Amino acid sequence: MATPTPPEIKSASWWNYFFLYDGSKVKGEGDPTRAGICYFYPSQTLLDQQELICGQLAGVVRCLWDLSGTPPTLIRLRKLKFAIRVDGDYLWENQFWPSHPKVAYGLLPGQTRTVTEALALGCGVELSDVSCRQFLDQLIGFFHFYMGPVSLAYKSRPQEELSLQWDTFITQVLRGTSELHRIFNALWNLDHTKVEPLLLLKAALILQTCQRSPHVLAGCILYKGLIVNSQLPPSLTAKVLLHQTVPADQRLPGAGAAPQEAGAALPPGVQITPVFLTEEEVASLHEFTVEQKTRLQESSSQYPLWDRSTPTQAEDAWMSAAILEPTPRDGACLNGREADGRSLGHEQQEHVATAGLCTTACGPGSSSSSRMQQELGFSRQELDLSEIHISEPQEAFAPMPALGDQEAVLTSHQAPMLPEDTAVCSCLDPSPLERLSESGGLERLTDLPITNGQTQVPSTDPLLRGSSRPVLVPPQDPVGEERSAEQCGDGSREHHSALADSRGPSTSADRSGFEPSPARPQAGLLPMNLYTHSVNGLVLSLLTEKPLLRDIAAIEEVYHSSLASLNGLEVHLKETLPRDEASPTSSTYNFVHYDRIQSVLTANLSLVATPQDRRFLQAVNVMHSDFAQLPMLYEMTVRNASTAVYACCNPAQETYFQQLTPTARSSGFPNPQDCAFSLAGKAKRKLLKHGVNLL
Amino acid sequence: MKCVLVATEGAEVLFYWTDKEFEENLRLKFRQSENEEEELPALEDQLSTLLAPVIISSVTMLEKLSDTYTSFSTENGSHLYVLHLFGECLFIAINGDHSESEGDLRRKLCVLKYLFEVHFGLVTVDSQLIRKELRPPDLNQRARVWKHFQRLLDTYSHLREQEQSFAVEAVERLIHPQLCELSIETLERHVVQAVNSSPERGGEEALHAFLLVHCKLLAFYSSHGASTLRPADLLALILLVQDLQPTQDTTEEDNNDDNSSQSFTQRRPLSSQNIPVHQAGSQSTAGPPRSSEETDTDSISLPEEYFTPAPSPGEQSSGSILWLDGGTPPTDVLQMAEGTPQGLVPHSPEPSSPRRIFLDANVKENYCPLVPHTMYCLPLWPGINMVLLTKGSSTALALVLYQLLDGFSLLEKKLKEGQEPGSALRSQPFVGDLRQKMDKFVKNRVGQEIQSSWLEFKTKAFSRSEAGSSWELLQACGKLKRQLCTIYRLSFLATAPSRGGPHLPQHLQDQAQKLMKERLLDWKDFLLVKSRRNVTMVSYLEDFPGLVHFIYVDRTTGQMVAPSLSSSEKMSSELGKGPLAAFVKAKVWALVRLARRYLQKGCTTLLFQEGDFRCSYFLWFENDMGYKLQMIEVPVLSDDSVPIGVLGGDYYRKLLRYYSKSRPSEPVRCYELLTLHLSVIPTDLLVQQASQLARRLGEASRVTLP
Repeated sequence: MATPTPPEIKSASWWNYFFLYDGSKVKGEGDPTRAGICYFYPSQTLLDQQELICGQLAGVVRCLWDLSGTPPTLIRLRKLKFAIRVDGDYLWENQFWPSHPKVAYGLLPGQTRTVTEALALGCGVELSDVSCRQFLDQLIGFFHFYMGPVSLAYKSRPQEELSLQWDTFITQVLRGTSELHRIFNALWNLDHTKVEPLLLLKAALILQTCQRSPHVLAGCILYKGLIVNSQLPPSLTAKVLLHQTVPADQRLPGAGAAPQEAGAALPPGVQITPVFLTEEEVASLHEFTVEQKTRLQESSSQYPLWDRSTPTQAEDAWMSAAILEPTPRDGACLNGREADGRSLGHEQQEHVATAGLCTTACGPGSSSSSRMQQELGFSRQELDLSEIHISEPQEAFAPMPALGDQEAVLTSHQAPMLPEDTAVCSCLDPSPLERLSESGGLERLTDLPITNGQTQVPSTDPLLRGSSRPVLVPPQDPVGEERSAEQCGDGSREHHSALADSRGPSTSADRSGFEPSPARPQAGLLPMNLYTHSVNGLVLSLLTEKPLLRDIAAIEEVYHSSLASLNGLEVHLKETLPRDEASPTSSTYNFVHYDRIQSVLTANLSLVATPQDRRFLQAVNVMHSDFAQLPMLYEMTVRNASTAVYACCNPAQETYFQQLTPTARSSGFPNPQDCAFSLAGKAKRKLLKHGVNLL
Repeated sequence: MKCVLVATEGAEVLFYWTDKEFEENLRLKFRQSENEEEELPALEDQLSTLLAPVIISSVTMLEKLSDTYTSFSTENGSHLYVLHLFGECLFIAINGDHSESEGDLRRKLCVLKYLFEVHFGLVTVDSQLIRKELRPPDLNQRARVWKHFQRLLDTYSHLREQEQSFAVEAVERLIHPQLCELSIETLERHVVQAVNSSPERGGEEALHAFLLVHCKLLAFYSSHGASTLRPADLLALILLVQDLQPTQDTTEEDNNDDNSSQSFTQRRPLSSQNIPVHQAGSQSTAGPPRSSEETDTDSISLPEEYFTPAPSPGEQSSGSILWLDGGTPPTDVLQMAEGTPQGLVPHSPEPSSPRRIFLDANVKENYCPLVPHTMYCLPLWPGINMVLLTKGSSTALALVLYQLLDGFSLLEKKLKEGQEPGSALRSQPFVGDLRQKMDKFVKNRVGQEIQSSWLEFKTKAFSRSEAGSSWELLQACGKLKRQLCTIYRLSFLATAPSRGGPHLPQHLQDQAQKLMKERLLDWKDFLLVKSRRNVTMVSYLEDFPGLVHFIYVDRTTGQMVAPSLSSSEKMSSELGKGPLAAFVKAKVWALVRLARRYLQKGCTTLLFQEGDFRCSYFLWFENDMGYKLQMIEVPVLSDDSVPIGVLGGDYYRKLLRYYSKSRPSEPVRCYELLTLHLSVIPTDLLVQQASQLARRLGEASRVTLP
């Protein structure tokens, strides 16, 4: 939904500051602090104030870093709190300080640490610590997704342009939040209870069909800024979602220019935007693909088993899934090696689990429907192995209806051979050098591989380089990287993939080890394309690999395979939705249901908060952070003089319930008749009709 | 990895406390940077070097942004820094091992600040003077002061982790009505009255006397003239006694697992000769029948004396005389005091010697915080102590000084808020009152600097012709406050009993000690065992199946009842010893923590299921008849507010006052109940049990109210 938004930002009461500070520009005593301020929101803040905040916080961060060994992530003041992210390196310098240590405040003689970049988000204290951090992460994620690594972007682009970008991102975050969404940092999705389930299924099918096209990894479908269906983890969906709200004319400069370079006119409504994904994100996308393709060849009898198990370890599954290294793309597993591919995949996952590599920024991930199911199903075994799952039965999070059908359809659809793919393309990341230039001018990207593709292929591929095993280098091809990859024989591709596969978890470490990464924490940001096709309010967004840009045939294929269905879906949604949006009937209760995996909310709160609602939100805020901190906590009732809130949680979901009927004031003395203690039962009964099953 | 630091705005260290790990960590940091041969800077210098940027930045932020840091945390909360600004002193607590939450750290800071107040009284009001108290220029003296507070912090941390009474911050009574009565009688006749009728007592008057068995209160007696001792003050006194006479078996325990405990044994070599407590275990049957099964316990609660007789007219002047005796202008005395090797060290080498402490009291029917008292800790046997509190003849002076300081602080506040000096300010009633009081106070201080300062102030504030600017007035205000504080310091700290100030003659103390010993001799061993098994869970199991543990607190009197919970190796509870007991203990502590967090956010009832347990927390109000009063909306506090507790800011006192506003007519009492059930117990049964339990415990305590 492309409603034109002016770039200036309306200030929000809960969001006070955001800034990017480059400490490397302020080293000497004489350097003014302002030299280090790359971006400051709100921009109308007096420069002195900006300097004060940036300078003081940067100083404190450095001091605490020295003291604790890790930089602080949260700085709280009485009225403000700052989430901090330091995006830089240690720098040990030999400096000579006067002998008395007090002179060199905080800087121990002989060692200093330069904060290369510090990003901070300052907000009011009402926002919980977790949300504050998440908003910062989200904002940084946006930037990385559309602009690449921060330091590189600032080296290669004018600061004004990037400031405009930040403005856009902040506008989007500010606009996209209600108080409830702030608490959970949730995504906006279509109220599934108001939509015909078949439409959701249809959306899922469109996405799956698109995946069959070359280069396409995964995607999501949005309707008027709301998620209809997403195959992506929530963090990625959020980034894609942002794209929708940026109108074409002021779309991220430098980002939108790329498609035309490809030479051919894109089909109407289609845009291709270069984006950057973290290694983890890419890994998770590839993981899907492998799994999906292999599964398609398997006997379908296995799916139901997995599918049923999915809800159980949802979050953990995501966590571990997200860290998996990129496995060979779908194409690699063609020609009868599917089963092998799958087993390799498993082996790899076991690897990951045992290696104990977990926790990624990805967090509770999501993607609705089939993608989710596959994902979860896949990682289940590995979860068992690593014993990190919580053995609480989660029947409540039942698989989506019609899932079985989906699978069936899928299988029959996808049995035929897929078009020839760029099999090892994902491995052929341009070298960091290239990346630098890429972020400088994305248009050139497509040319680069051609010039140095042949020589680069073996040496730049991190997967290959990091491996101690014999590496099978794809035949060098004068056409370029992608071509070379594509043209390498099936056998070799298999081999290659198997090889990469079995390397398992070590890749990540290896990679960061040898890559002279300019932005270490974000180690590799890999270029991808975002294909978007909008049909009125409906937008199909697909993350694709880079070659799509040049592969007009592939674009056409994606376009035509989805066009009719999209049109149909749009019409149906348009017919269904407005009818239901009317009449927010006053309810006798409030509830919030948070899907931890998909990071979406279902709630019946009215827009205007009554005092009761305020109380509810306050309680939800506190309880949500306690649920996050205390994994064994799973049911809670709190009460104050006027109201009571019941909450329960499991690894997949959190539910909060408050009754609005005026409760008789109690004394606070334990009283079994107190309505607060019967809330659990009421919640179970009343929420059933919202599709929330607490039984 | 723990550390506490108190620093001035200029990053001068006023006090620090670190554990071994933190110290080691610092050493490593500095060794890396310094040349090997070079001597490492002193620990306080290391701390000041490292934390100076934070301290200075927090001052800068406060100046420029009118906001300042309250906490920092690193990834996953692995390092937590809590900052709290008291006046012009910045208190910082650091934890690097996940063992303390933000609330814990902040409470620790508040307790430390409170301990400073207990030791230095209103001197803490003035940042210059308190700086001199906490950081005497003489290095030995400084080391002594810091050692004293470091030990107190150790003791506090230990008690908070080990004793339920310190976890919830309420006094635990030793439940034995018969013994309690016997002891109170002895305290009354042979201690308080004996002292007060003795002609040798000088100006000292015994106010309170009480008996402690370990941390538990056996008996408490207040003389008729005395005002009530606040629960917070009583807790602080128990903390001081535990510091002087640490409980022996916990000390031994510590040696195994706790580094900090070494200081306990080191500083009290004699404690190893003490009779081990557990030895008495077999004799418990020989003692009187155990009454722990009966819950109708306290035969007496803290005396609820609000009546204070009119003070003798001479008292006030005696304070002035005392000052006149001092003779010299304050500043000179200050320097003099600094010069003396003993200085004003609050801690004296021999533990039993009397100590100057400052407690809240009513003086002449006026509430007065931090009135000077003298505390005599008279150990009877290891683990059993008698404490006697006396006041000197100069309490009236304390009241006057407090009122004056309070008045000037209010004036300062008004000026800072932007009120212009002039007729508007002059016409404020409190200003007139302040002027009158100050005139009276200054009259007797001929030739002292305060007279000239006051004159100067009066011309600036009250003359119509040459009214000073508000900045000038603030300066003058500050000067007067400092002079008043100096007088306070000279009157109460410089003449502290430990520095040879007036105190009860030794033989009076000995006599009281001897008498009490005789009375309790037969009960000694029983008491020591009883203190470990005060209330047993066994007596509740039958009526409350599924109940694992509970804590019941009467917040009005600041007393709590809870089954004994000992994870000690030697004393086994019903839960046995070792892991299970430790597990339940951890659950209880976590429950206390969570309940406080939700109370801070305005929730007075909390029920949650965690793992295999269901925990509940209830807070309610009653009137004196036991009628349950309607709940009110409890204020929602911010995360950086003084954490809920009693030591260092009594939350419940404020809560009661807040509640009383809505019902001024009747006295209100506040109660808390925390229960821990097995998770198989359904909610309704749990609530029902909690209700029955609260009734039972409530009746037990109400029946015995005097």
